[in-house]
Amino acid sequence: MFKEFAKGLSITLKHLLPGNCTTVQYPQQKLEMSPRFRGLHRLVPTQTREKCVACYLCPTVCPAKCITVESAENEAGEKYPKVYKIDLLRCIFCGYCVEACPVEAIEMTDAYELANYKRDDFNFEKERLLKS
Amino acid sequence: MVNLTIDGKQITVSKKATIYEAAKEAGVHIPVLCYAKKLLPYGACRICLVEVEQMKGRLIPSCTTPVTEGMVVNSISDEIRKVRKTVLEFLLVNHVVECPVCDKGGECDLQDLTYEYEVVTNRFEGEKFDLPTDEINPLIERNMNRCVLCGKCVRVCDEIVGYGSYSFINRGFETKIATAFDRGLNCEFCGQCVSMCPVGAILPRPFKFKARPWQLKEVDSVCGYCGNGCTVTFGTKDNEVQTIRFNDKNGVNDGNLCIRGRFGISYVNSDKRLTRPLVRRNGHLTETSWDDAIQVAVAGLKAAGDKLGVISGARLTNEELFLVKQLAKTLGTENLDHSGGECYKGVTEGLKETLGIQASTGTFPQVEHCDAILSIRSDFYETHPVFGMVVNQAVRNNEAKLTVIADKRGKFTKLPNARTLLHKPGLELNILNAICSVLLDEGLAKTDGIEGLNELKDALKDYSADAVAAATGVGADAIKQAARELAQADNAAILLAYGLPYTAYSKELGTAAANLALLTGIAGRPGSGLYLCGEKANSQGAVDLSILPGEKGLGAQQMLAAAGTGELKALYLIGEDPLTSYPDRALVEKALEASFLVVQDLFLSPTAQKADVVFPATSFAEKDGTFTNAERRIQRLRVGITPPGEARTDFAILQQLIQEFGGQAPATSAEAFAALAAETPGYEMVSLEMLGPQGYVWGGDILQPESKKLLPVAGAVAVDGDYQLLVGSSLYHSGTVSTGAKGPMAVVSEPYIELGREDAAALKLVDGDLLKLKAAAGEIQAKVKVDRRLPKGVLFTPYHFSQLELNRIYRGQAAIAVEPVKQ
Ligand code: SF4
Ligand code: SF4
Ligand code: SF4
Ligand code: SF4
Ligand code: SF4
Ligand code: FES
Repeated sequence: MFKEFAKGLSITLKHLLPGNCTTVQYPQQKLEMSPRFRGLHRLVPTQTREKCVACYLCPTVCPAKCITVESAENEAGEKYPKVYKIDLLRCIFCGYCVEACPVEAIEMTDAYELANYKRDDFNFEKERLLKS
Repeated sequence: MVNLTIDGKQITVSKKATIYEAAKEAGVHIPVLCYAKKLLPYGACRICLVEVEQMKGRLIPSCTTPVTEGMVVNSISDEIRKVRKTVLEFLLVNHVVECPVCDKGGECDLQDLTYEYEVVTNRFEGEKFDLPTDEINPLIERNMNRCVLCGKCVRVCDEIVGYGSYSFINRGFETKIATAFDRGLNCEFCGQCVSMCPVGAILPRPFKFKARPWQLKEVDSVCGYCGNGCTVTFGTKDNEVQTIRFNDKNGVNDGNLCIRGRFGISYVNSDKRLTRPLVRRNGHLTETSWDDAIQVAVAGLKAAGDKLGVISGARLTNEELFLVKQLAKTLGTENLDHSGGECYKGVTEGLKETLGIQASTGTFPQVEHCDAILSIRSDFYETHPVFGMVVNQAVRNNEAKLTVIADKRGKFTKLPNARTLLHKPGLELNILNAICSVLLDEGLAKTDGIEGLNELKDALKDYSADAVAAATGVGADAIKQAARELAQADNAAILLAYGLPYTAYSKELGTAAANLALLTGIAGRPGSGLYLCGEKANSQGAVDLSILPGEKGLGAQQMLAAAGTGELKALYLIGEDPLTSYPDRALVEKALEASFLVVQDLFLSPTAQKADVVFPATSFAEKDGTFTNAERRIQRLRVGITPPGEARTDFAILQQLIQEFGGQAPATSAEAFAALAAETPGYEMVSLEMLGPQGYVWGGDILQPESKKLLPVAGAVAVDGDYQLLVGSSLYHSGTVSTGAKGPMAVVSEPYIELGREDAAALKLVDGDLLKLKAAAGEIQAKVKVDRRLPKGVLFTPYHFSQLELNRIYRGQAAIAVEPVKQ
C-alpha cells in the first residue's frame, strides 16, 4: 500500500518541478482553443448578404430557446433573416444550431471572453454576429 | 359490404371503397401523394403501392383499386419499401430541393416521405427543373420546379371549383402544369389548388416567408364573410392571423373556401382599425376613454327617450345579437332591425306565410346528390361560392340538371349542360309563376294537403309559359322543360340568395320560391330542399333571434326616414355602414345628419364619420360565440388573436350599455347562448357542448314546413329604358368589409361598371374608360369593364365600394334605368 502511495505522490511532485505546470497565467497568457471549441456564434457572410436563409431550423432546435429569427423577402425576392438575434445570457453553448443549419450559415468561434456589464449587451443582433 | 384482410386485420367496408380507404378505416397507414379524399381516384404517383395475395407478381396502387371479397393485402414489405423508395428517387431527380427557403417545408408530403423512406442518395441523375416561376401574382405563387405532377391542382379546379385553370402540357420529362397559353393566373382565386398541392409548387403568396408551419397556432373558427358558414382554421403568430390553414375535418365545406375566406382575412390586422373610442367634440371626432364615450352615448340615448332605433349588422354572433335585443328591450323600444330591413323579407314573410318556417329546409351536402337544381339569379355563385361548388359537383358527378333564372350570365350558366333562362331584368317572379303554371297545367304538381290551390290557379292564368316567354324573352320550351325536370326529379333543390343589393321583390321572390317548392314537393322531402341563403355570416342567426321590428316598431328603412324628419332622436348602429350599402343615400344622409348617432364598428366607415360616438369593436377573429349559417348550422367561433388597442368585443360593449341603462345582461357568451337557446324556436334543445366539429343543424337535416299554403304573387313589369343597371355582388367581395382586406382588393380594387361587348362597341368604350351613368335620382361614375356576361342594354355594378356612392341612384329597384355618358 505504501508503494502505491509513493507512486501517486511522485506524480504530484513531478508537476511541481519547473516546466511541468498546467496552469497558465490568464489573462497575461491565453491558450489556443481547440477547433471544436464552442464559443460565441458567428453568422457567415457572403459577398452580398448573410449566408443564413432564415429557415428557422436553429430557433426550432435550440433547447434554450434563445434564438429569434424573423424571415422576410429581400429586393431580389430571396428569403433572408430580417431579424437574427441570440440572447447569450440564455444560450447554453450546446452547438445544436450549428449542427441544424442546412447551409452552414452559423458557426461557433473560439471567443469565450463574453462578460459584460449590461443585460442588453448580451443581445447579439445580426450585425454583431456577422462581425464576430 | 365486403370483407378483406389488411396486414392480418380483418375488416368489413363498403363495396365502393378502395384499398386505401379500407386501410385507413382499419388504421393502417399507406403513404399517398396524388390521392385526396374529395377528388376522384387518379393513380398518378405510385407511392401507395401495396401487395395483394390474389394479384401476385405486381404491386397494386391502393388508391385506385376497389376492394373485393376475401382480398388479402400487405401494406408493407421489403419489396414495397424498395419500390416506394425508388419512386421517391425518381421524383427527386428533377426536383429542385430547396427546403430551407420553401414555405412548404415542415408540412411537405415529399419531404416527409423522403425522410420516412430514408432517401439520402439518389441512384439516378438528371437535370434539375429550371422553369420560370410566378411570383408576381399577389395571391398564388407558383414554382413548378417543385411540382410532382400529382394533378391535384388540375383536378380540384375542375372537379370542385368548376373553373379549369390548369392542365398538363408537354410530354415526358417536359410535362408540366400550366394555365391556358402558360399565362399568369386569372381565375376565382379561391386557392383550392393551394390547399391541395402536396408540395411547395403552389403556395399562398401573402404568406410568403412569413413563418414555418410548426410555429403557427391553429385555431378553428368560422369564416366571417358570408352565410355559407365555411369553417376556417387560423394560423396565428405574433397576434396576427398569418394565414388560413387547410382543414377538411371541420364543418361542411370539406376544406373548400372562396377568395374571401382564404385570402380576405387581412382586414383584421389592418392598421386602419379603430383602437380607441371617439366622441364628437366641437364638430370633430376625438379620441377619448371608454368611460367617457359610454357616458356620452348613454346621455345622448337617454335624452332621446323612447324615440330611438337600433340597427344591427348580420355579422354579429348569436350571443351578441341576443344582447342587441336585450338592449332594445332595456331602452324600451321596438325599433329594432338588421341588414337594411328589406332584403330578408323573403324568409321572414315569404316563407313564413307559406311554409310557416323562416329558414332553408335542407342542408348543403344533400345538394350534391340532387338530380335537378333551380338557381334563382346567376349571382348565387357570387354570394355563396362554396355552396356553388357543391352545385358544380352535383352537375359533374351526379349529372344534375341545372336551370338558372338569370338576368346575366355567370359561373352557373357556364356549367356543363346548364339551362339559362335569360330574362329581362327584374322578371324572376314572372318566370317562377310560369314554372308553377306549367306544373299545374301538365298535372305534374303535387297538391296533396296543400291550401290555396284554386286561388293560385286563378292568379296564374296570366302566367302561362307562352305569355311569360313573350314578356321576359325566355323560350317557352325551356321554361316547360325546367318545370318538368324539377317535378320529376327524385331529389331537387331551389336556391335563392338574399342580401342588401337584392332588395327588390324580396318578399315576393321568397313566396314564389315557396309556392314552387310546395308544388314540386321539394319542401320537407328528404334529399331535396329550398335554400334561402343570407348574404352575411349570421343572417340566419339574426332572423332566428328575431332582430326584427316589434309589432309597433319601425324597420330599418322607416327608422332612417323617421330619424330624418326628427321623429326619432337617436340611432344606434352596430356593424353596419348604411351610407355605403343601404339603398337610397339621401334618406340615410338625412337620418345620420339629424339624429344623435352612435356607431359601433371596426373601421371609421363613412357612416362612422358622421357619428357622435364611435365604439371600436372587434372582428370575428377576436371573439368567441356562434354563427348560424344559411342551412341552420350553428357553429362556434374561437378567439384567434387579441383585439388591437382598446377595442372591445360587441358583447362587452353591449353588456356595459345594458347595465348602464339598468338592465340585466348575461355575464359570458356561454351564459348568453344558454339564455338565447331557451327562448329561440328551434334552439331549445341545443347546448354549446352539442356543437361538435360539424356544428349542429337546428331543426335537423330536413326542416318540415309547418304549413303548406300557396300564396299568389303578382309578377313584375319590365323597366323601360334602353340601358338598365343591375346591382349585385362581386365574387371577390362580400359586404363592405372586404374592401379593407388585401386579398380581395388585389383582384378587384375599385368599383367598376360592367357592360357587354355589343354595348361597349355601340358606346365606343374599352376597358378602363370612365363612364358616367345618369339616372332619375342622380349619377355615378366608374371605370368600365367589358365582358361577355351581359345581354345588350344591361349594365352591372357591384355595391361594395363606398367611393362609388351607388346608392345615390340605387333605391332598392330591381333594375335602374340609366343613361350612359362616356367621360
Ligand atoms: S439554421 Fe442556418 S439558415 Fe436556418 S435560420 Fe439558423 S442560421 Fe439561418
Ligand atoms: S416542395 Fe417539399 S421537398 Fe421540395 S423544396 Fe419544398 S419542402 Fe422541400
Ligand atoms: S385559385 Fe381556384 S379557380 Fe384559381 S386555379 Fe386555383 S383552384 Fe382554380
Ligand atoms: S402543382 Fe402541386 S398539386 Fe399541381 S400537380 Fe404539381 S404537385 Fe400536384
Ligand atoms: S365568404 Fe362564404 S363561401 Fe367564402 S369562405 Fe367565407 S363562408 Fe365560405
Ligand atoms: S396516391 Fe395512389 S397513385 Fe398516388
